[in-house]
Amino acid sequence: MLRATLKGMAARKARLILTSLAVVLGSAFIAAALVLTASIRATVDDLSGDSYTGSDVLVQPVEPENRGDRLVRDGVSAQTLDAIEASGDVAEVSTTVTWMINAIGDDGKIVGALAPTMAVNWGDESVERELRDGRAPETDGEVAVSAQFVTDSGLGLGDTVNAYSLATDETGYEIVGVYGYSGGRNSLSGATELAFTTTEAQRLVFGGEDVYTAVAATAVDGVSATELLASLEPAIGAESEALTRQAYVDDLNAENAEVTNVIGYFLLGFGLIAVFVSVFLIANTFSIVIAGRLKEIAMMRAIGASRGQIIRSVLAEASLLGAVASVVGAGIGVAAGAGLTSIVANNLLDTAGTSLAIPWTAPLAALAVGIGVTVLSALVPAVRASKIPPVEAMREAAKADKPIVAVTVTGLIITLVGATGIVLGLNEVFEADRTNLLAAAVGAGVVFVGVALLTAWLSKPLVALLGSVWAWSFAGRLGRLNASRNPRRTAVTAAALMIGVTLVTATATLLTSVKESLAERFETSIQAELFITGPVTSSVPATFDPALMDDIRDADGVAAAVELYYDLAQVDGTEQYVNATSDLQGGLELFGGEVADGSLDGLGEAETAVNESAAEQLGVGIGDTVSATFSRGTEAHEFTVVALLADNEDTDGWYVDPSYAGEFYTPKPTTALVDVADGADVDAVTASVEDILADEPAVSVQNHEEYLAQVTVFFDYAIIAIQLLLALAMIVAVIGVINTLVLSVLERTRELGMLRAIGMTRGQTTRMVTVESVTIALFGALLGIGTGLLLGWAVQQALVSKGVESFAVPTALIAAYFGAAVLVGLVAAIAPAVRASKVNILGAISYQ
Amino acid sequence: MPLANPPAPQITRTRSAVTASNVWRAYGSGEAQVVALRDVSVQFASGAFTAIMGPSGSGKSTLMHCLAGLDTTDRGSVLIGDTEISGLNDKDLTKLRRDKIGFIFQQFNLLPTLTAEENILLPASIAGAKPDPDWVARIIATLDLSERLTHKPTELSGGQQQRVACARALATRPEVVFADEPTGNLDTRSSGEVLRFLRRSVDDFGQTIVMVTHDPSAAAHADRVVFLADGQIVEDLHRPTADSVIDTMRGFENRVPLAGEAR
Repeated sequence: MLRATLKGMAARKARLILTSLAVVLGSAFIAAALVLTASIRATVDDLSGDSYTGSDVLVQPVEPENRGDRLVRDGVSAQTLDAIEASGDVAEVSTTVTWMINAIGDDGKIVGALAPTMAVNWGDESVERELRDGRAPETDGEVAVSAQFVTDSGLGLGDTVNAYSLATDETGYEIVGVYGYSGGRNSLSGATELAFTTTEAQRLVFGGEDVYTAVAATAVDGVSATELLASLEPAIGAESEALTRQAYVDDLNAENAEVTNVIGYFLLGFGLIAVFVSVFLIANTFSIVIAGRLKEIAMMRAIGASRGQIIRSVLAEASLLGAVASVVGAGIGVAAGAGLTSIVANNLLDTAGTSLAIPWTAPLAALAVGIGVTVLSALVPAVRASKIPPVEAMREAAKADKPIVAVTVTGLIITLVGATGIVLGLNEVFEADRTNLLAAAVGAGVVFVGVALLTAWLSKPLVALLGSVWAWSFAGRLGRLNASRNPRRTAVTAAALMIGVTLVTATATLLTSVKESLAERFETSIQAELFITGPVTSSVPATFDPALMDDIRDADGVAAAVELYYDLAQVDGTEQYVNATSDLQGGLELFGGEVADGSLDGLGEAETAVNESAAEQLGVGIGDTVSATFSRGTEAHEFTVVALLADNEDTDGWYVDPSYAGEFYTPKPTTALVDVADGADVDAVTASVEDILADEPAVSVQNHEEYLAQVTVFFDYAIIAIQLLLALAMIVAVIGVINTLVLSVLERTRELGMLRAIGMTRGQTTRMVTVESVTIALFGALLGIGTGLLLGWAVQQALVSKGVESFAVPTALIAAYFGAAVLVGLVAAIAPAVRASKVNILGAISYQ
Repeated sequence: MPLANPPAPQITRTRSAVTASNVWRAYGSGEAQVVALRDVSVQFASGAFTAIMGPSGSGKSTLMHCLAGLDTTDRGSVLIGDTEISGLNDKDLTKLRRDKIGFIFQQFNLLPTLTAEENILLPASIAGAKPDPDWVARIIATLDLSERLTHKPTELSGGQQQRVACARALATRPEVVFADEPTGNLDTRSSGEVLRFLRRSVDDFGQTIVMVTHDPSAAAHADRVVFLADGQIVEDLHRPTADSVIDTMRGFENRVPLAGEAR
């Protein structure tokens, strides 16, 4: 029986290759994801391994426990540094002073889009820097910059760069040197860097305090790192803690691992989707192949093969195919993972060398998934094939398609179960919010599977509808009829594309709805026409001089202008958003906020206003006192609650007088709202406000649309990233459609011969196959878009309470998905159409 | 009365629908070469029903394929009406088949996705033309298919399917209809219906029909039977009966060695 299977496989190489492509793709993805993750991690670990080369012990500030993730770090004190230097076990000491700053580029804008700009002291040994040009900074007015900074800023040796930090105002520095990093790198993971004298770095990072981000010590000969650690620990101050360099590197690696793991999960997710989709492809191909072999199987049964032998024969074929394909896939995946590693390392991390790591799980997982998926997918067709009585199959090859009632009913039930989950979740039947969200999300996933099963039933009316587009062309009409000829096959082929399109549509719909909800809230609740704010991507929040607010208020056509400072502070031991403004009443009006209780008159020193739910969270009311420590504050302040604000997403938080802003993370205002007087020309007001802010390059004047575009820029990035999934889905779909079409063309050889004999031209034949292909692809896209919109809507409904109140359809993207489907159809049609048009007429019409 | 090389078409009063002159066709090369047609010249009169007969491998199917523009000739010329088809490119040949030739196959070869009516109108649809509705209605009525027009091929019997195929072949009023063993897959009753229709379409509509068959009783419906053996025309029988066909077949079976000597 096995011999017959092997001979059969050898005789059908083309089909075998097409089937295996899907398996190859799926297992390659899994292997590539695992290799890429491991390799990036190894590469990054190598880099971290270079940190503080030659040092033995590091001294870092202790992170205050009760403040959570502080935005501003404390430093190692000068006394601690003195103590380390005084130790007899220490041979050498280096210091590090570093934090994010903003630098202004040649174009007057803040340098760097997503990667941060860092200030560091020249002399820091956390990484090895190699001076390429010029010299090291010697005075406080000089700076050396990383090669990446030269690229990103457009400034070079001899130019003056303006930079500022949270602690300092904008200052000009002369660029005296340009440096790179060990291994010829231009940057550390794409970040730009400016190296100052230690004193200037301390001014930028710590406001001039004589403290350090870290101190690295090297032991004298004969003293080990642990011995040095033991001798230093009693000497350093309470604000600091010591650890060996090895422990530091291990910590760094663990932190990096978290990031690389996220990349890995993302890729694995893609791989799993590819595998899920290939299940459909493989099952479909096996069904078609078996349908074409019914006579052969019947003959086998007639000469005495048992049902079990038939099933085993098909499964043997599947496991052999799965094994070969997943070995190939694992090979391609490992190679692709290695290739991707160097691309990612060079472009994203800017590392010159890469370390390739091939975890044993990569080929193993690829093989397991490849073989497992192939065998499981072939199981249903195999069992179905074995059920066919010999006589039935030996008659004219079963023409009528198997009834799709069972699949449809199953699909309907599954869809209903999923829908129930969504309804229960949305109506918050369960007690915990998370359970509700989970019910809705899982329900959505289940609906997805249900709809996939319903595709066969949906294919008839939908394909007819889509096909009406081609009604003008007879070849097109024939193609459409061919597409609806075998609903099961069309449906399974289309499902491959549907899955990808559903995911991207659902995500895009949700993100668009979030954007739309934000926009709508802006339109309805925010009175101000103009916003003064900087890019959300800058390292240090863009700020401006609060003194300019008076000029703005005095400008013609300005009805009101309110500036806002913000901080993430500790209020009664919890993290809370604290805002400050000189005109809270005005701010509330512009944001559409309301006072629920108490009075805002004279919100002065030691007084605060807060929204109701935040007050409730801390269990305070009017007249109660809270204690707040701000980001840069060293001590707590007491505030009495004098007013409660109605909950409003735009105004929620604590409010204090701007006199406390000096202790805020950003001591200057980050945002201002300008209300243009009724009847005044908005453009003219914009121009005059821009004039006032001419010396503040970090911020710009924006209208609603511009401001929204800026705050939602991350959604745009997310939407773009998710489109990558579409590309993957398209590739898989092309393979699936080719597969189905080639087999269909093969089955219809005689028909094609007849059509060519009675006068159908090659062009018409090509069109007929192309239309069939495009119709299948469009059907997949239509299903995907429909299901995606439904799922997007369901999740949006679940998030209404979280502020996602509007449902918005990403029309442009949806149009693009239809375009992508047409592309898939056209690409997939090429080979089968050529094959169909070149059919040998004589051979075909005498083909039995 | 061998007519291997008829000098001129004086034997037909009417003009020829199909003319083959000195046609050669061989397959393969060298040792394995098989000559399917050797210097065949034959004319098919317009408005006549001609049968082509011969044993397996005699070249009768090759001759029909060459005449119908489905196969190319090595030498010689084939005229459909006034059109010389040897030398036409695929596109022009396809158009010629579409506009001037009708086909009836042994396997019916209907499109399962189309109804009987759509199948009948298929050649016209491919051409993007509208056939004469009166003419189509007349054919449908003659073939007794009026009740079956909305049925799909799978819902029709073999005889009905072949009648649909006949209607398809005639619907565009082609210059000539080629029928390749049209009764090969049918029972006696259905065969009779199809052959009687072909006869009628010649008598009543003036259609030209060339039919390849191995069945003497089918050939007896024709006006003339051309016998092929070993790639050459060996007999040309006018006004055949089943008996005369059988006799002729016996006769030239005895002559086969002669033809062999001619090599």
